[in-house]
Amino acid sequence: MTITARVFVRALLMASALVSPVSARAAENRAAESKVVPSIREATSADDPALRAEGEKRFQANCGRCHQFPHKFSPRVILTVERHMRVRALVSEDDMRVIIRYLTQ
Amino acid sequence: MYLRIVFSREHFRAVVCRSLSAFMLILVPFPLHGQGSDSDRPVPILTGSAGYFTNVDGGSTSLAPIISPVFLLPLGDRWLVEARGTFEGEFTRKQGNGAYGGNVGKEVDYAQLDFIANRYVTVTAGRFLTPFGVYNERLYPIWIRSLQREPLIFPIATETSNGLMLRGGFEISPRAKLNYAAYFSTLSSLDKLESDRAAGGRIGFFFPRPKVEIGGSFRQLLQEERSRSVGFHFAWQPTGTMLNLRSEYAWSSGQGSGYWVEADYRLAQIPVWQSAMRHLEIAGRVQQFFGHLDADEAEEYSLPKTDTQHADLGVNYYFVDGLKATASYGREFSSSGNANLWSVGIAYRFVVPLGRVQ
Repeated sequence: MTITARVFVRALLMASALVSPVSARAAENRAAESKVVPSIREATSADDPALRAEGEKRFQANCGRCHQFPHKFSPRVILTVERHMRVRALVSEDDMRVIIRYLTQ
Repeated sequence: MYLRIVFSREHFRAVVCRSLSAFMLILVPFPLHGQGSDSDRPVPILTGSAGYFTNVDGGSTSLAPIISPVFLLPLGDRWLVEARGTFEGEFTRKQGNGAYGGNVGKEVDYAQLDFIANRYVTVTAGRFLTPFGVYNERLYPIWIRSLQREPLIFPIATETSNGLMLRGGFEISPRAKLNYAAYFSTLSSLDKLESDRAAGGRIGFFFPRPKVEIGGSFRQLLQEERSRSVGFHFAWQPTGTMLNLRSEYAWSSGQGSGYWVEADYRLAQIPVWQSAMRHLEIAGRVQQFFGHLDADEAEEYSLPKTDTQHADLGVNYYFVDGLKATASYGREFSSSGNANLWSVGIAYRFVVPLGRVQ
Protein backbone atom coordinates (compact mmCIF):
# COMPACT_ATOMS: atom_id res chain seq x y z
CA MET A 1 0.00 0.00 0.00
CA THR A 2 1.46 3.36 -0.96
CA ILE A 3 1.99 6.19 1.50
CA THR A 4 -0.75 8.30 -0.09
CA ALA A 5 -3.25 5.48 0.18
CA ARG A 6 -2.25 4.77 3.77
CA VAL A 7 -2.63 8.41 4.72
CA PHE A 8 -6.00 8.61 3.06
CA VAL A 9 -7.35 5.44 4.68
CA ARG A 10 -6.14 6.64 8.08
CA ALA A 11 -7.75 10.02 7.52
CA LEU A 12 -11.03 8.25 6.75
CA LEU A 13 -10.63 6.14 9.89
CA MET A 14 -9.99 9.20 12.04
CA ALA A 15 -12.94 11.04 10.54
CA SER A 16 -15.12 8.02 11.19
CA ALA A 17 -13.93 7.79 14.76
CA LEU A 18 -14.79 11.45 15.23
CA VAL A 19 -18.33 10.92 14.09
CA SER A 20 -19.22 8.60 16.97
CA PRO A 21 -18.28 10.81 19.94
CA VAL A 22 -19.86 13.86 18.34
CA SER A 23 -23.10 11.98 18.03
CA ALA A 24 -22.77 10.46 21.48
CA ARG A 25 -22.46 13.91 23.02
CA ALA A 26 -25.71 14.81 21.33
CA ALA A 27 -27.49 11.96 23.07
CA GLU A 28 -30.02 14.30 24.65
CA ASN A 29 -31.10 15.30 21.19
CA ARG A 30 -31.09 11.73 19.94
CA ALA A 31 -34.84 11.40 19.96
CA ALA A 32 -35.28 14.41 17.73
CA GLU A 33 -32.24 13.61 15.62
CA SER A 34 -33.23 10.01 15.08
CA LYS A 35 -36.12 11.30 13.01
CA VAL A 36 -33.98 12.04 10.05
CA VAL A 37 -37.16 12.54 8.11
CA PRO A 38 -40.39 13.81 9.62
CA SER A 39 -43.29 11.46 9.91
CA ILE A 40 -46.07 11.85 7.42
CA ARG A 41 -48.45 12.98 10.18
CA GLU A 42 -45.95 15.66 11.20
CA ALA A 43 -45.52 16.68 7.60
CA THR A 44 -49.14 16.90 6.59
CA SER A 45 -50.25 18.66 9.75
CA ALA A 46 -48.16 21.67 8.88
CA ASP A 47 -50.58 23.09 6.35
CA ASP A 48 -49.42 26.64 6.80
CA PRO A 49 -49.08 29.13 3.89
CA ALA A 50 -45.78 30.43 5.25
CA LEU A 51 -44.39 26.90 5.51
CA ARG A 52 -45.65 26.17 2.02
CA ALA A 53 -43.91 29.26 0.66
CA GLU A 54 -40.72 28.30 2.46
CA GLY A 55 -41.07 24.76 1.10
CA GLU A 56 -41.42 25.99 -2.45
CA LYS A 57 -38.43 28.28 -2.01
CA ARG A 58 -36.25 25.47 -0.71
CA PHE A 59 -37.50 23.06 -3.36
CA GLN A 60 -36.49 25.54 -6.07
CA ALA A 61 -33.13 26.23 -4.44
CA ASN A 62 -32.24 22.54 -4.03
CA CYS A 63 -34.25 20.29 -6.35
CA GLY A 64 -35.23 22.90 -8.95
CA ARG A 65 -31.62 23.47 -9.92
CA CYS A 66 -31.61 20.09 -11.68
CA HIS A 67 -35.18 19.10 -12.47
CA GLN A 68 -38.77 20.29 -12.57
CA PHE A 69 -41.45 19.93 -9.94
CA PRO A 70 -42.37 16.24 -9.79
CA HIS A 71 -45.75 14.63 -10.15
CA LYS A 72 -47.78 14.09 -7.07
CA PHE A 73 -46.33 11.02 -5.43
CA SER A 74 -47.52 9.23 -2.35
CA PRO A 75 -45.90 10.49 0.88
CA ARG A 76 -44.18 7.13 1.42
CA VAL A 77 -42.57 7.38 -2.03
CA ILE A 78 -41.53 10.98 -1.35
CA LEU A 79 -39.82 9.93 1.88
CA THR A 80 -37.74 7.40 -0.07
CA VAL A 81 -36.89 9.79 -2.88
CA GLU A 82 -35.88 12.52 -0.45
CA ARG A 83 -33.57 10.14 1.41
CA HIS A 84 -32.03 9.26 -1.95
CA MET A 85 -31.63 12.96 -2.75
CA ARG A 86 -30.15 13.69 0.63
CA VAL A 87 -27.34 11.30 -0.23
CA ARG A 88 -27.09 11.99 -3.95
CA ALA A 89 -27.55 15.77 -4.06
CA LEU A 90 -26.38 16.47 -0.49
CA VAL A 91 -29.58 18.23 0.49
CA SER A 92 -29.20 19.37 4.09
CA GLU A 93 -31.32 17.84 6.85
CA ASP A 94 -33.18 21.09 7.52
CA ASP A 95 -33.95 21.64 3.85
CA MET A 96 -35.12 18.07 3.53
CA ARG A 97 -37.60 18.41 6.40
CA VAL A 98 -39.15 21.54 4.86
CA ILE A 99 -39.22 20.05 1.36
CA ILE A 100 -40.91 16.88 2.58
CA ARG A 101 -43.57 18.95 4.32
CA TYR A 102 -44.10 20.92 1.12
CA LEU A 103 -44.30 17.89 -1.14
CA THR A 104 -46.61 15.91 1.12
CA GLN A 105 -49.13 18.69 1.66
CA MET B 1 5.72 -5.81 -10.84
CA TYR B 2 2.55 -3.81 -11.34
CA LEU B 3 0.27 -6.84 -11.28
CA ARG B 4 1.95 -8.10 -8.14
CA ILE B 5 1.12 -4.83 -6.40
CA VAL B 6 -2.46 -4.36 -7.46
CA PHE B 7 -3.59 -7.91 -6.87
CA SER B 8 -1.76 -8.41 -3.57
CA ARG B 9 -4.14 -10.10 -1.14
CA GLU B 10 -2.50 -8.40 1.83
CA HIS B 11 -3.14 -4.96 0.39
CA PHE B 12 -6.70 -5.84 -0.47
CA ARG B 13 -7.33 -7.31 2.99
CA ALA B 14 -5.82 -4.26 4.66
CA VAL B 15 -8.09 -1.92 2.75
CA VAL B 16 -11.17 -4.04 3.39
CA CYS B 17 -10.39 -4.50 7.11
CA ARG B 18 -9.76 -0.81 7.65
CA SER B 19 -12.87 0.17 5.73
CA LEU B 20 -14.97 -2.26 7.77
CA SER B 21 -13.40 -1.02 11.01
CA ALA B 22 -14.24 2.55 10.13
CA PHE B 23 -17.75 1.54 9.24
CA MET B 24 -18.26 -0.39 12.50
CA LEU B 25 -17.01 2.54 14.58
CA ILE B 26 -19.85 4.58 13.21
CA LEU B 27 -22.51 1.93 13.50
CA VAL B 28 -22.03 1.12 17.20
CA PRO B 29 -23.74 4.16 18.75
CA PHE B 30 -26.72 4.08 16.44
CA PRO B 31 -29.32 1.41 16.97
CA LEU B 32 -32.06 1.34 14.39
CA HIS B 33 -34.96 3.49 15.35
CA GLY B 34 -38.49 2.56 14.43
CA GLN B 35 -40.61 5.30 12.99
CA GLY B 36 -44.07 4.34 14.13
CA SER B 37 -46.58 2.71 11.88
CA ASP B 38 -45.87 1.36 8.39
CA SER B 39 -47.74 4.25 6.78
CA ASP B 40 -45.12 6.66 8.18
CA ARG B 41 -42.21 4.81 6.66
CA PRO B 42 -40.55 5.21 3.29
CA VAL B 43 -41.39 2.44 0.88
CA PRO B 44 -38.90 0.61 -1.38
CA ILE B 45 -39.19 1.84 -4.95
CA LEU B 46 -38.02 0.97 -8.42
CA THR B 47 -37.38 4.13 -10.36
CA GLY B 48 -35.10 5.20 -13.18
CA SER B 49 -35.33 6.23 -16.77
CA ALA B 50 -35.82 4.83 -20.23
CA GLY B 51 -35.27 6.49 -23.56
CA TYR B 52 -34.78 6.07 -27.26
CA PHE B 53 -32.57 8.35 -29.30
CA THR B 54 -31.51 8.65 -32.89
CA ASN B 55 -28.13 10.29 -33.34
CA VAL B 56 -26.56 11.44 -36.59
CA ASP B 57 -22.86 12.23 -36.22
CA GLY B 58 -21.21 13.53 -39.37
CA GLY B 59 -23.73 11.68 -41.55
CA SER B 60 -23.52 8.38 -39.66
CA THR B 61 -26.81 7.35 -38.04
CA SER B 62 -27.01 5.35 -34.83
CA LEU B 63 -29.99 4.20 -32.77
CA ALA B 64 -29.53 4.35 -29.02
CA PRO B 65 -32.17 2.78 -26.76
CA ILE B 66 -31.38 2.99 -23.07
CA ILE B 67 -32.93 1.82 -19.84
CA SER B 68 -31.47 2.69 -16.48
CA PRO B 69 -33.36 1.25 -13.48
CA VAL B 70 -32.67 2.53 -9.96
CA PHE B 71 -33.57 0.43 -6.92
CA LEU B 72 -34.03 2.23 -3.59
CA LEU B 73 -34.46 0.29 -0.36
CA PRO B 74 -34.73 2.42 2.80
CA LEU B 75 -34.00 0.57 6.05
CA GLY B 76 -34.94 2.06 9.40
CA ASP B 77 -34.46 5.80 9.76
CA ARG B 78 -30.90 6.12 8.62
CA TRP B 79 -30.07 3.53 6.03
CA LEU B 80 -30.51 3.35 2.31
CA VAL B 81 -29.51 0.69 -0.17
CA GLU B 82 -29.42 2.12 -3.68
CA ALA B 83 -28.37 0.62 -6.97
CA ARG B 84 -28.47 1.68 -10.59
CA GLY B 85 -27.78 -0.34 -13.69
CA THR B 86 -27.65 0.82 -17.29
CA PHE B 87 -28.44 -1.13 -20.42
CA GLU B 88 -27.53 0.97 -23.43
CA GLY B 89 -27.57 -0.08 -27.04
CA GLU B 90 -25.79 1.48 -29.96
CA PHE B 91 -26.97 0.16 -33.29
CA THR B 92 -25.53 1.31 -36.61
CA ARG B 93 -25.97 0.14 -40.19
CA LYS B 94 -23.54 -2.55 -41.19
CA GLN B 95 -21.45 -1.48 -44.21
CA GLY B 96 -23.35 1.77 -44.46
CA ASN B 97 -26.68 0.53 -45.80
CA GLY B 98 -27.42 -2.89 -44.25
CA ALA B 99 -29.57 -3.76 -41.29
CA TYR B 100 -28.93 -2.01 -38.00
CA GLY B 101 -26.80 -4.01 -35.59
CA GLY B 102 -24.59 -3.51 -32.59
CA ASN B 103 -24.05 -4.27 -28.96
CA VAL B 104 -25.91 -3.56 -25.76
CA GLY B 105 -23.61 -2.29 -23.03
CA LYS B 106 -24.44 -3.33 -19.46
CA GLU B 107 -23.07 -1.48 -16.46
CA VAL B 108 -23.60 -1.39 -12.72
CA ASP B 109 -23.36 2.35 -12.19
CA TYR B 110 -23.65 2.12 -8.44
CA ALA B 111 -24.64 -0.39 -5.77
CA GLN B 112 -24.10 1.19 -2.39
CA LEU B 113 -25.13 1.16 1.23
CA ASP B 114 -25.64 4.60 2.77
CA PHE B 115 -25.72 5.34 6.45
CA ILE B 116 -26.88 8.82 7.47
CA ALA B 117 -24.82 9.11 10.65
CA ASN B 118 -25.90 12.64 11.53
CA ARG B 119 -26.65 15.96 9.89
CA TYR B 120 -23.02 16.34 8.86
CA VAL B 121 -21.91 12.92 7.72
CA THR B 122 -23.27 10.18 5.52
CA VAL B 123 -21.14 7.08 5.09
CA THR B 124 -21.31 5.26 1.79
CA ALA B 125 -19.78 1.86 1.14
CA GLY B 126 -19.82 -0.19 -2.01
CA ARG B 127 -19.78 0.88 -5.62
CA PHE B 128 -20.56 4.56 -6.09
CA LEU B 129 -20.44 7.37 -8.62
CA THR B 130 -17.18 9.27 -8.31
CA PRO B 131 -17.87 12.74 -6.94
CA PHE B 132 -15.90 14.77 -9.47
CA GLY B 133 -17.75 17.86 -10.68
CA VAL B 134 -21.53 17.77 -10.49
CA TYR B 135 -22.59 16.37 -13.86
CA ASN B 136 -21.87 12.75 -12.94
CA GLU B 137 -23.90 12.67 -9.74
CA ARG B 138 -26.68 15.17 -10.40
CA LEU B 139 -27.24 15.79 -14.10
CA TYR B 140 -26.42 12.47 -15.77
CA PRO B 141 -29.87 10.77 -15.90
CA ILE B 142 -31.44 11.22 -19.32
CA TRP B 143 -34.68 12.62 -17.89
CA ILE B 144 -32.71 15.36 -16.12
CA ARG B 145 -30.06 16.41 -18.63
CA SER B 146 -31.03 19.30 -20.90
CA LEU B 147 -28.88 18.13 -23.81
CA GLN B 148 -28.59 14.40 -24.36
CA ARG B 149 -24.95 14.42 -25.47
CA GLU B 150 -22.56 14.21 -22.56
CA PRO B 151 -19.95 16.97 -22.25
CA LEU B 152 -16.62 16.19 -23.91
CA ILE B 153 -14.76 16.31 -20.58
CA PHE B 154 -17.27 14.07 -18.80
CA PRO B 155 -14.98 10.98 -18.85
CA ILE B 156 -12.22 12.84 -16.96
CA ALA B 157 -12.02 11.39 -13.42
CA THR B 158 -15.58 10.06 -13.37
CA GLU B 159 -14.95 6.31 -13.60
CA THR B 160 -17.11 4.54 -11.03
CA SER B 161 -15.40 3.82 -7.70
CA ASN B 162 -15.52 0.82 -5.35
CA GLY B 163 -14.73 1.65 -1.76
CA LEU B 164 -15.70 3.95 1.05
CA MET B 165 -16.92 7.53 1.00
CA LEU B 166 -17.84 10.17 3.56
CA ARG B 167 -20.13 12.95 2.39
CA GLY B 168 -22.58 15.52 3.63
CA GLY B 169 -24.25 18.86 3.20
CA PHE B 170 -25.13 21.35 5.91
CA GLU B 171 -25.52 25.05 6.69
CA ILE B 172 -22.40 26.90 7.74
CA SER B 173 -24.24 30.21 8.04
CA PRO B 174 -27.71 31.48 7.12
CA ARG B 175 -26.23 32.59 3.82
CA ALA B 176 -24.12 29.62 2.86
CA LYS B 177 -24.17 25.84 2.77
CA LEU B 178 -21.25 23.50 2.48
CA ASN B 179 -21.28 20.15 0.74
CA TYR B 180 -18.40 17.74 0.58
CA ALA B 181 -17.41 14.21 -0.37
CA ALA B 182 -14.16 12.33 0.31
CA TYR B 183 -13.50 8.80 -0.88
CA PHE B 184 -11.07 6.00 -1.35
CA SER B 185 -11.54 3.54 -4.17
CA THR B 186 -9.81 0.21 -4.51
CA LEU B 187 -8.79 -1.58 -7.68
CA SER B 188 -11.28 -4.05 -9.10
CA SER B 189 -11.01 -5.94 -12.34
CA LEU B 190 -14.26 -7.87 -11.90
CA ASP B 191 -16.39 -7.83 -15.02
CA LYS B 192 -19.00 -5.01 -14.87
CA LEU B 193 -17.58 -3.89 -11.51
CA GLU B 194 -14.29 -2.40 -12.63
CA SER B 195 -12.74 0.44 -10.69
CA ASP B 196 -9.38 2.11 -10.26
CA ARG B 197 -7.37 2.55 -7.12
CA ALA B 198 -7.80 6.21 -6.37
CA ALA B 199 -8.57 8.78 -3.72
CA GLY B 200 -10.20 12.15 -3.99
CA GLY B 201 -12.96 14.46 -3.01
CA ARG B 202 -15.14 17.41 -3.82
CA ILE B 203 -16.17 20.49 -1.90
CA GLY B 204 -18.88 22.95 -2.82
CA PHE B 205 -20.41 26.10 -1.40
CA PHE B 206 -24.00 26.98 -2.12
CA PHE B 207 -25.35 30.46 -1.48
CA PRO B 208 -29.17 30.15 -1.34
CA ARG B 209 -30.00 33.82 -1.76
CA PRO B 210 -28.38 34.35 -5.16
CA LYS B 211 -28.71 30.57 -5.85
CA VAL B 212 -25.06 30.25 -6.75
CA GLU B 213 -22.92 27.16 -6.21
CA ILE B 214 -19.18 27.01 -6.68
CA GLY B 215 -16.88 24.16 -5.91
CA GLY B 216 -13.84 22.12 -6.72
CA SER B 217 -12.89 18.47 -7.11
CA PHE B 218 -9.69 16.48 -6.86
CA ARG B 219 -8.74 12.93 -7.75
CA GLN B 220 -5.41 11.15 -7.45
CA LEU B 221 -5.03 7.88 -9.31
CA LEU B 222 -2.98 5.47 -7.17
CA GLN B 223 -1.97 3.06 -9.90
CA GLU B 224 -0.47 2.94 -13.39
CA GLU B 225 0.40 6.46 -14.51
CA ARG B 226 -0.73 7.92 -11.13
CA SER B 227 -2.42 10.80 -12.90
CA ARG B 228 -3.92 13.70 -11.00
CA SER B 229 -7.17 15.44 -11.88
CA VAL B 230 -8.57 18.76 -10.77
CA GLY B 231 -11.99 20.23 -11.51
CA PHE B 232 -14.14 23.25 -10.77
CA HIS B 233 -17.87 23.69 -11.07
CA PHE B 234 -20.25 26.62 -11.06
CA ALA B 235 -24.04 26.82 -11.14
CA TRP B 236 -26.36 29.80 -11.01
CA GLN B 237 -30.14 30.04 -11.10
CA PRO B 238 -30.91 33.78 -11.34
CA THR B 239 -33.72 34.67 -8.93
CA GLY B 240 -37.11 35.18 -10.52
CA THR B 241 -36.23 33.48 -13.79
CA MET B 242 -36.48 29.93 -15.09
CA LEU B 243 -32.91 30.07 -16.32
CA ASN B 244 -30.18 27.66 -15.22
CA LEU B 245 -26.53 28.33 -15.91
CA ARG B 246 -23.96 25.61 -15.27
CA SER B 247 -20.31 25.16 -16.02
CA GLU B 248 -17.50 22.75 -15.31
CA TYR B 249 -13.78 22.74 -15.91
CA ALA B 250 -11.60 19.64 -15.64
CA TRP B 251 -7.90 19.02 -16.02
CA SER B 252 -6.09 15.73 -15.89
CA SER B 253 -2.35 15.22 -16.07
CA GLY B 254 -2.84 12.14 -18.23
CA GLN B 255 -5.86 12.94 -20.34
CA GLY B 256 -6.14 16.63 -21.18
CA SER B 257 -8.39 19.44 -20.08
CA GLY B 258 -11.50 21.31 -21.06
CA TYR B 259 -14.65 23.08 -20.01
CA TRP B 260 -18.32 23.39 -20.82
CA VAL B 261 -20.84 26.15 -20.22
CA GLU B 262 -24.53 25.32 -20.45
CA ALA B 263 -27.73 27.32 -20.15
CA ASP B 264 -31.30 26.08 -20.17
CA TYR B 265 -34.45 28.15 -20.00
CA ARG B 266 -38.06 27.11 -19.47
CA LEU B 267 -40.28 29.26 -21.68
CA ALA B 268 -43.22 29.30 -19.23
CA GLN B 269 -42.56 32.98 -18.53
CA ILE B 270 -43.05 33.94 -22.18
CA PRO B 271 -46.49 35.62 -22.24
CA VAL B 272 -47.63 34.20 -25.60
CA TRP B 273 -48.89 30.72 -26.56
CA GLN B 274 -48.87 29.79 -22.89
CA SER B 275 -50.35 26.33 -23.42
CA ALA B 276 -47.31 25.33 -25.49
CA MET B 277 -44.67 27.53 -23.89
CA ARG B 278 -45.11 26.09 -20.42
CA HIS B 279 -44.00 22.71 -21.78
CA LEU B 280 -40.97 23.98 -23.67
CA GLU B 281 -37.34 24.35 -22.68
CA ILE B 282 -34.44 25.53 -24.77
CA ALA B 283 -30.84 24.68 -23.98
CA GLY B 284 -27.43 25.59 -25.31
CA ARG B 285 -23.91 24.50 -24.55
CA VAL B 286 -20.44 25.51 -25.69
CA GLN B 287 -17.42 23.44 -24.81
CA GLN B 288 -13.79 22.86 -25.59
CA PHE B 289 -11.42 19.98 -25.05
CA PHE B 290 -7.66 20.41 -25.15
CA GLY B 291 -5.52 17.33 -25.50
CA HIS B 292 -3.57 15.10 -27.82
CA LEU B 293 -4.16 11.41 -27.28
CA ASP B 294 -3.21 8.49 -29.46
CA ALA B 295 -6.02 6.34 -30.85
CA ASP B 296 -5.78 3.72 -28.07
CA GLU B 297 -5.87 6.31 -25.30
CA ALA B 298 -8.78 8.15 -26.90
CA GLU B 299 -10.76 4.92 -27.10
CA GLU B 300 -9.82 3.87 -23.56
CA TYR B 301 -10.79 7.22 -22.05
CA SER B 302 -13.71 7.99 -24.42
CA LEU B 303 -12.13 11.37 -25.12
CA PRO B 304 -11.40 13.16 -28.42
CA LYS B 305 -7.99 12.52 -29.95
CA THR B 306 -7.21 16.17 -30.41
CA ASP B 307 -8.37 19.71 -29.59
CA THR B 308 -12.11 19.83 -30.16
CA GLN B 309 -14.84 22.44 -29.86
CA HIS B 310 -18.58 21.91 -29.74
CA ALA B 311 -21.55 24.22 -29.87
CA ASP B 312 -24.98 22.64 -29.24
CA LEU B 313 -28.51 23.97 -29.24
CA GLY B 314 -31.50 21.91 -28.19
CA VAL B 315 -35.17 21.99 -27.36
CA ASN B 316 -37.14 19.82 -24.92
CA TYR B 317 -40.90 19.43 -24.81
CA TYR B 318 -42.24 18.14 -21.48
CA PHE B 319 -45.49 16.26 -22.01
CA VAL B 320 -45.63 15.72 -18.26
CA ASP B 321 -42.99 16.00 -15.55
CA GLY B 322 -41.24 12.69 -16.31
CA LEU B 323 -41.77 12.43 -20.05
CA LYS B 324 -40.11 14.63 -22.61
CA ALA B 325 -39.28 14.74 -26.29
CA THR B 326 -35.88 16.14 -27.06
CA ALA B 327 -34.01 17.35 -30.13
CA SER B 328 -30.67 19.05 -30.61
CA TYR B 329 -28.23 20.21 -33.23
CA GLY B 330 -24.53 20.68 -32.68
CA ARG B 331 -21.45 21.50 -34.65
CA GLU B 332 -18.09 19.94 -33.92
CA PHE B 333 -14.89 21.73 -34.85
CA SER B 334 -11.75 19.66 -34.68
CA SER B 335 -8.40 19.46 -36.44
CA SER B 336 -9.42 15.96 -37.52
CA GLY B 337 -12.53 17.37 -39.25
CA ASN B 338 -15.75 19.25 -38.63
CA ALA B 339 -19.12 17.55 -38.33
CA ASN B 340 -22.82 18.17 -37.75
CA LEU B 341 -24.31 16.40 -34.73
CA TRP B 342 -28.05 15.77 -34.68
CA SER B 343 -30.01 14.05 -31.98
CA VAL B 344 -33.72 13.40 -31.52
CA GLY B 345 -35.46 11.17 -29.01
CA ILE B 346 -37.67 10.66 -26.04
CA ALA B 347 -36.87 10.24 -22.34
CA TYR B 348 -39.10 8.88 -19.61
CA ARG B 349 -38.70 8.72 -15.85
CA PHE B 350 -40.64 6.00 -14.02
CA VAL B 351 -41.38 5.42 -10.34
CA VAL B 352 -42.87 2.14 -9.13
CA PRO B 353 -43.48 1.62 -5.40
CA LEU B 354 -42.58 -1.89 -4.24
CA GLY B 355 -45.02 -1.98 -1.37
CA ARG B 356 -48.15 -0.43 0.01
CA VAL B 357 -48.15 3.36 -0.33
CA GLN B 358 -51.03 4.07 2.06
